[in-house]
Amino acid sequence: MMLFYFQRLIEIFPFFLKGLWMTAVVSGISLIMATIFGLLLGIARASKNKLLVGLIGAYVAAIRGTPFVVQIFIIFFILPEWGIQLDAFPAAILALTILGTAFICEIVAGGIKAVPRGQWEAASSSGLNLYQQLRYVIVPQSLQTILPPLVGQYVLLIKDSSVVSVIGVMDLTRVGWVTVNRIPEGLMVFTLVGILYFAISYPLIRLSNRLEKKMATQQVML
Amino acid sequence: MIKFNGVNKWFGKLHVLKDIDLHVTSGEVVVVCGPSGSGKSTLIRCINRLEKFQKGELFVDGTPLHDYSTNLTKLRAEIGFVFQQFHLYPHMTALQNVALAPINVRKMKRADAEALAHEKLDRVGLADKADAHPTQLSGGQQQRVAIARGLAMSPKIMLFDEPTSALDPEMIGEVLDVMVKLASEGMTMCVVTHEMGFARQVAHRVIFMDEGSLVETGNPHDFFANPQTDRAAQFISKILTH
Ligand SMILES: Nc1ncnc2c1ncn2[C@@H]1O[C@H](COP(=O)(O)OP(=O)(O)OP(=O)(O)O)[C@@H](O)[C@H]1O
Ligand SMILES: [Mg+2]
Repeated sequence: MMLFYFQRLIEIFPFFLKGLWMTAVVSGISLIMATIFGLLLGIARASKNKLLVGLIGAYVAAIRGTPFVVQIFIIFFILPEWGIQLDAFPAAILALTILGTAFICEIVAGGIKAVPRGQWEAASSSGLNLYQQLRYVIVPQSLQTILPPLVGQYVLLIKDSSVVSVIGVMDLTRVGWVTVNRIPEGLMVFTLVGILYFAISYPLIRLSNRLEKKMATQQVML
Repeated sequence: MIKFNGVNKWFGKLHVLKDIDLHVTSGEVVVVCGPSGSGKSTLIRCINRLEKFQKGELFVDGTPLHDYSTNLTKLRAEIGFVFQQFHLYPHMTALQNVALAPINVRKMKRADAEALAHEKLDRVGLADKADAHPTQLSGGQQQRVAIARGLAMSPKIMLFDEPTSALDPEMIGEVLDVMVKLASEGMTMCVVTHEMGFARQVAHRVIFMDEGSLVETGNPHDFFANPQTDRAAQFISKILTH
């Protein structure tokens, strides 16, 4: 019987690859957007503007203090109330972006605050404007602190993306659920799902570790 | 060139600058000294508004600094600032440190800016260190790169906040030599320092600060030979016995 199910599983393996692809697309798009917004909000959060710092702080606290599955339901069910119809796919990307932005902005703000004040003073004294100070002096130095946890955050985001299956996105996790209905070998099915998640997470974990070591031993040259 | 009119500054309740009146003319070299915490750094940091002040007027090269709407980046490009701790950009080579502002603020072509940077590094005696990173340089060399970085903007004023205090004694001379040369070329300079040899050699005026007030001002010879106030006399005897 086991063997029979195993053969069935191999037959429908392309279905798993489709789910893997969906997971990669949903998390890929979200983490690119979360990186962009996280960088901008992180810079603002490290600024002296109290209002901005407070607002972003409240957003981060709200996201950190609630389960992601609740956030995604809120987005999926509240938007129609306001007359915005979102399909599962864009809703998933929106939710993951909001989640990732919150965490990435904290990482970025931490990295920027770790750059000594003298660097800001030297850069502004030489006549660079705020954008140039950030672009050429502050951000390159903060990358040392930012990159390792940022890549680590990507891994978390990819794993969190499994939650989008609850609103019907046909990602890897949902493929697992659907399959279990036909092949009642839960352990076998979800081991395969786990292996496929691991296949995309592991290279990133390696990258994060490598970056950490590299940053510890040498300066990043840009 | 620099004109303080009744400038007052507070850090919270702490009154750090008290009714400062000071006029520095073009080409003048002014040395600021005084005990720790007397407000020397705060005073010269006001000149390019690394510090804001609450009361009084300050004009630098005609620009009103008490008016917070003034465009600061433009003024700052005309003023070089040398810090006690150098603050070189650690992720860049010496050459890149010097060329950064000319490229981005003066909008020079990269090749021109690098030629300029080579020229300035040569001027501070570091022509062969262009490709070194700050961590590969000694303190004295780092400080000379920092001076070259300031000079690359062809500033009208150079400000120095204890430029030799963080250096090992054997490196102080090389930095002071560069500053002496700069002074002899007619640069307007405000220098916070306790290097009395430097003050004697090039300063037109010495200013003594204590507890946020400008207590005494005079030419270096008179100031060191017969200080007018007890506080200055005490201070001088202290630094001479060190
Ligand atoms: N950012 C700040 N916040 C609060 N107080 C400050 C700040 N910077 C300086 N002070 C205080 O202001 C006073 C003047 O400081 P300042 O650095 O101008 O003195 P200084 O004469 O340069 O001393 P030193 O010789 O030690 O460098 C000191 O009492 C100092 O503690
Ligand atoms: Mg000081």
